[in-house]
Amino acid sequence: MPAVLEEESDSSDEEVSELAIVSPKKQAFRADLNPSSNIPESLPDHLLPRFNACRRAILKSLQCPSLVLPAAAEDSVNGIAVKQLVELIDGTVLRAEGNSCLVLGPRGSGKSQMVDACLEKVAAQNPIILRLSGWVQNTDRHALREIAFQLLQQTGTSLLPDSEKVQLDDASEAEEDENPFLDSPDHLAEGPTLSLPPSSHLHALIPVLLTLSRPVVVILDAFDLFALHPRQSLLYCLLDTVQNCRASSESRGIAVIGITSRVDTVQLLEKRVKSRFSGRTIRTAPPADLETCLTMVRTILLPSNMDGCGEGEGEEEEEEEWNNLWTASVERFLAAKDVTNVFNETFTITRDFKVVARILTACIIRIKPSQPYLSFQDVSACTDLQRSRLRTTYLNKLSYPALCLLIASAHTDTAGHKSFTFEMLYDTFRNQVRALASAPVQVNGGNIGMMRCTREAFEELISANIYMCVAAPSSNIAKQFTKYRCVIDQPDVKAIIDKAGNTNLKKWLTKNQ
Amino acid sequence: MASDAMRRYPGHENFCYELETLLSNHPPGFIYIHDLEAIRTTTRVTGTILDALSTTSSSPAIFYAQVDCVTSFTARLLYENIVNTLVGWEPRWEDGCANWKDDLDTRWNENMDSFVHGLRAAHTHLSRKAGAVMDTGKGKGKAGVNSDVRLVIVIERPERLKETLPELLVPFTRLSELSRLDLSIIFLSQVGWEDIKPPLGASPDPYYVDVPPPSKEDIVRNLILNFAALCEDSPSSSPFNNPYQSSLKSLYIHFITTLCDVCYPFTHNPQELQYVAAARWPGFCKPLLDQYKACGDIDMESGEAFPPPTNDVRMRLTKTFNPTLTAALEALLPRLTNAADWALANAPPDDLLSLPRAQGVQAAGTQGGGAAQQGAALAALPRMAKFILIAAFLASTNPAKSDVRMFGRGLDERKRKRRATRAPGKTRGGGPSKVAQRLLGPAPFAIDRMIAILGALLEENDFDSRASGKQFKIPGEHTDMEIGRVGVFSYVMELTSMRLLHRTTPSDRLDGPPQFKCAISYDATLALAKELKVALNDLLWDPL
Repeated sequence: MPAVLEEESDSSDEEVSELAIVSPKKQAFRADLNPSSNIPESLPDHLLPRFNACRRAILKSLQCPSLVLPAAAEDSVNGIAVKQLVELIDGTVLRAEGNSCLVLGPRGSGKSQMVDACLEKVAAQNPIILRLSGWVQNTDRHALREIAFQLLQQTGTSLLPDSEKVQLDDASEAEEDENPFLDSPDHLAEGPTLSLPPSSHLHALIPVLLTLSRPVVVILDAFDLFALHPRQSLLYCLLDTVQNCRASSESRGIAVIGITSRVDTVQLLEKRVKSRFSGRTIRTAPPADLETCLTMVRTILLPSNMDGCGEGEGEEEEEEEWNNLWTASVERFLAAKDVTNVFNETFTITRDFKVVARILTACIIRIKPSQPYLSFQDVSACTDLQRSRLRTTYLNKLSYPALCLLIASAHTDTAGHKSFTFEMLYDTFRNQVRALASAPVQVNGGNIGMMRCTREAFEELISANIYMCVAAPSSNIAKQFTKYRCVIDQPDVKAIIDKAGNTNLKKWLTKNQ
Repeated sequence: MASDAMRRYPGHENFCYELETLLSNHPPGFIYIHDLEAIRTTTRVTGTILDALSTTSSSPAIFYAQVDCVTSFTARLLYENIVNTLVGWEPRWEDGCANWKDDLDTRWNENMDSFVHGLRAAHTHLSRKAGAVMDTGKGKGKAGVNSDVRLVIVIERPERLKETLPELLVPFTRLSELSRLDLSIIFLSQVGWEDIKPPLGASPDPYYVDVPPPSKEDIVRNLILNFAALCEDSPSSSPFNNPYQSSLKSLYIHFITTLCDVCYPFTHNPQELQYVAAARWPGFCKPLLDQYKACGDIDMESGEAFPPPTNDVRMRLTKTFNPTLTAALEALLPRLTNAADWALANAPPDDLLSLPRAQGVQAAGTQGGGAAQQGAALAALPRMAKFILIAAFLASTNPAKSDVRMFGRGLDERKRKRRATRAPGKTRGGGPSKVAQRLLGPAPFAIDRMIAILGALLEENDFDSRASGKQFKIPGEHTDMEIGRVGVFSYVMELTSMRLLHRTTPSDRLDGPPQFKCAISYDATLALAKELKVALNDLLWDPL
């Protein structure tokens, strides 16, 4: 298996080098590299800046992992998507078309980053980019105000000399008093003001987009949430404007790009909105198979350009030495079977590359100059923390009274009471202490006849949301009689108690069955 | 740079290293720090690290804001706190408490949109400032060039955000992509992300950082480290009255080790342990100081340090005060009293070390705190009020159906039958076993029922203490008159106003008798019953 992987990755590395500019020097190193060559366990001092720079570069690329996605192949899903999106944006920016499309793909498949990357390419034409997010702009009114603000920022302030500011401010204030229905909001487009247009004018803002002197790209993040606004009026207006956009000398083109992960978004649209929507859906996808995923991991772990290195004597040799060491260690790391297993498991659970990126981030953070290389122990520990978090991973160090309460609540649960009061748990505990009178509870060699301070442990569990209130607390009910239920289920309690390793508590819990 | 934080907070070394590396390189946009047991320490460590990071001149320059969702309970407060802290602006009363303003003078505290604009304006402002600083530092003439600025926003207790401002949770978790800045948001919570997470995958998954609870050794080291600061804070004229002086350090180390041995199983929170230590330490070292004072051969003027105590003295002190440690924990952890009062109440007598040994142990004393006060309040009640409280407790605890069996006085004086006690947890039908009312909390009762129980109680237990009225012929007639007095009802109202009874029906309802609930505990009732010579356990349906 490792041998096959080696081949696969090598071939894909060639492809990577086309886009992600792998330095030819490193290629050369990799050629004469022998994975079994001995690697020193700790880092020599003079390589420390190299180590830091390398770590920094890796962390940087981990923050936007999908940038390496299109590198996989030109005919992959994302490669096609990029091509389509670039065509569409070019159509609007260069040929003044009215375009609308939906970028659809699961979480972490690189939708937003793809759109950003495509917009970078047309930055020379300086289009006006309006970014809205369904998470923030909850209503159409908020969205319109945000559009007005962004228009103001992108068209206004840079053009206007300081002396005119005051004058225009006054003018816009005077206009506010006039009849809003007679007043045309054209001044927005022609003469930018420093204050937002009055709210009564906002509705007329969207048709104005066509009359601007630069092409407009509207990005609607969380497009499905805009479809939930009443009557979908914002979408209607935007898409209607897109349809009305005709190629002529004075119009500059407009594109509306929706981004969503909800598959049935188009079905959410009302008929009148849907008929104005072009229906173009650009799909993105996470890495399709494990090999792609591993290739991405490798690409990220072997950064091509490291920044932040001081220039000095012997720079070349140090870089060479470090690259040799690091590449060898990464190859060894990725070739190990248990490491591949971890990635395989992760990939089977979720295709979201962000999870892999999180695991890798945690691993990279863990390496220190004293242990400068990635290891299986690190990656498996980080996977526990970052992938699917079990409660047992962080609950086993609870204080003794809290553990007692957990067992007591497990007992009440077995007795058929889903909810419990503090007094019930305390009574259960007291009975247990009485039963254990011949063999008193021992903690660290100290004898605890009766538990103290259970109330505090109880409150601690409540504030950690392990015990949830069943009914709202009222002034009529004393605190110890408020009903709670335990969020943790019994197998988890068992695992927690097992890990805590107190014999008496274990015995008490086994009485439960 | 974070080595300072590492030194100051033992047990947090890994956390410090991880956070520092994260933030000084390329941090994820959303970090979630979870600490189950010692959240306040972690908050301080985070603050220290961020402080260190923001003061060192690195690229990118880091600016941070740390806000608590408890104090920022509205959206506007939250926005203002964050942006004002980021730019280092303090609203002043003289200026009308104005917020920070950017060049465009826009209002950024109204909603999420404007907050994001405010953040961007703050970023521009800060990068201009940082750029200026760097330029003057390097002496290169590149004015106006934006240098890198990284914003870090720490939100403490975000679980409050879920309750008070649920609509802000998703935008805040997505803040870095919304603002399109080099920004990292850190949630710092005692609650797991699973419990806060908004539905439908609305928020991106955070980068998780778990802080393990501090081990006993770490806490011991931490508390001992604090001793130096305590010594600096409490300069005293006479070394004989000052428990915090550097010459006592060896004894303090010994004291803290013992304290943590005793108290660590009950709480892992360093703050709480420090609190208990602060309550006990002055008493613990007082005998030693007294001894030095009595000897009098130490020259105070010369500032000479006390000689360390002998092993024998140390053992004796430990033996004397060990039982009081648990007492202190018991009183102070639930804050039944405060540390100063507790220390005062439990101060050892003068010259303890010169007393005989057995006497010394007793003298160190363990006096309870707040529980005694409540007992005193109950003891001061009139006799009838005490009977009413017991009757109310019985009415709240016993099922109404059992009253005839428990209190009835038939002609044949049938033997009272109580419920047969069964082993809990096993029922015939397989359904859940019934839980005693005593554990479920007091049930509401009609006042008539309580008066009737009161009558039975008085007839049984109070009859002999009354002056015999000649005019009462029928047995029980006197008691009947007693329970019909206005005084009884006014006692009920008074007890309600003292919150020893709870009225469960609204006071303006006219139909039906008013309902009440008993609000005193079993233990308090038992004490009252003992005082009145009522056999409480025989009258309970579910015997203890």
